[in-house]
Amino acid sequence: MPLRDELRHAWVVARKDLLVEYRSRTAIVSAVAFVILVLLVFNFSRDPTAVSSIDLAPSVLWVTLAFAATLALNRAFQLELENQALDGLLLAPVGRGAIYLGKLVANLLFVGLIELLGVPLLALFFNVPILPYAGPLAGIIALATVGFVSVGTLFSAMTVRTRVAELLLAVLLMPFMVPPLWWAALATSRLLGGRPLSEITGWLKMLAAYDIVFVFLALLLFPATVNE
Amino acid sequence: MMQATPENGGYMIAAYVIAAVVLVTYAVSLYWRTRKL
Amino acid sequence: MRMLRVGRWITAIGLLLLAGVYIRALVFTPVERLQGLAQKIFYVHVPAAIWAESAMIFVGLASVFYLFLKDPRLDRFAEASAEVGSVFAAIVLTTGPIWGKPIWGTWWTWDARLTLTLFLFLLYVGYQLLRGAIAEPGARARFAAVLGICGMVLVPFIHFSVYMFRTLHPMPIVLKPSTPSLPGSMLVTWLLSVGVFTLLYVGFVTQRYALSYLREQVEVIGDVGRGTGDR
Repeated sequence: MPLRDELRHAWVVARKDLLVEYRSRTAIVSAVAFVILVLLVFNFSRDPTAVSSIDLAPSVLWVTLAFAATLALNRAFQLELENQALDGLLLAPVGRGAIYLGKLVANLLFVGLIELLGVPLLALFFNVPILPYAGPLAGIIALATVGFVSVGTLFSAMTVRTRVAELLLAVLLMPFMVPPLWWAALATSRLLGGRPLSEITGWLKMLAAYDIVFVFLALLLFPATVNE
Repeated sequence: MMQATPENGGYMIAAYVIAAVVLVTYAVSLYWRTRKL
Repeated sequence: MRMLRVGRWITAIGLLLLAGVYIRALVFTPVERLQGLAQKIFYVHVPAAIWAESAMIFVGLASVFYLFLKDPRLDRFAEASAEVGSVFAAIVLTTGPIWGKPIWGTWWTWDARLTLTLFLFLLYVGYQLLRGAIAEPGARARFAAVLGICGMVLVPFIHFSVYMFRTLHPMPIVLKPSTPSLPGSMLVTWLLSVGVFTLLYVGFVTQRYALSYLREQVEVIGDVGRGTGDR
């Protein structure tokens, strides 16, 4: 199937997911509420005289985003659980790769929206100036997000029909989230600490490498999770 | 200046015992499981 | 079943030789001057770590071949290697802190080997949980293979992360538990230990493989007896 068609189909799949989500809006509201709660917990559990917010902010940011992404991923294939919609999707003349890409794009946009709302909240609650670093910060966040959402989308296809699906997805995903999370937290802390951009490019390259490897791998492996 | 060799034999014994226990326990578990228990 | 018998024999010989290595390490190998007796934990800790990681590579390779060839033998082997790998990882994770406490003063250090093995252990646990959660054998084998391959691909990234972590947080150099070059007698002990752990890996995996096979046979017989099989 020509690439252009594959991409078009992927976008159709993505749009379907986003439309369903937009109509109910429960997931995004829950996710943002969750982010606010986590930020509150972090804020009230630290001693402001002992720990400066600039030191704490990167860790808080990445833990929050990691949890939020995991929550978001749980819904990735849940849409298809009802009424055997997954079979319907698979019967459609759409390549498996297109299905994966479509799910990936929908998940990325969904998590991206959470991040778009969450990061300014973090900046607000923790009094951390992020505007001067907005560009590079967005880059770090985007790269890290692709990293864990790509693996998470693949795994959610496998866990969706199991009994403890949400918990299993989190357990399976955890080792795969740590490297991008850690590099992103390091890069963020360097960035917010005012270090020159040249110090961060190394981490960005690693994040990009991770993304390329795992998106490619997930595309290759996704058919094995849905074919009979 | 030469440091004295520390007295930490207890740790060595503990580690060796734990490793042996894990390996033997696993071997026994395999034996039991393959006897259709 | 012949494979089971062979596996049991290899394991028995392995455990016997393990006792021999124990005696050699504890009694006949010189004590390292700076670290004292605790250094000898090295002869158990490192070979276990080597096999904890190698087992994951085997899981990954078997998984790759399984997705291409769909041969259930590869799936059984992957399942066996994952279980055995987790046992060795457990040894690393218990002996490591016991070694670290007298040497570095803390039970846990984010040192290269321990951190990598912790990740491996989590990957093994996830792999086994996933297998346990899927009832249908075909899907179970396919999904496990997907996870196994992803796990194998993750390992180099973990190595890199750990390397970077060490560069940023240098370990106290006072005592280095893993000396790069071992004097003669210590090297021999270490090599013997690696050999014994290799033998144990082979023996354990063979038995675990046989167990998978036997369980499948029992299921088939059960299906026939209930009239749900097609024999």
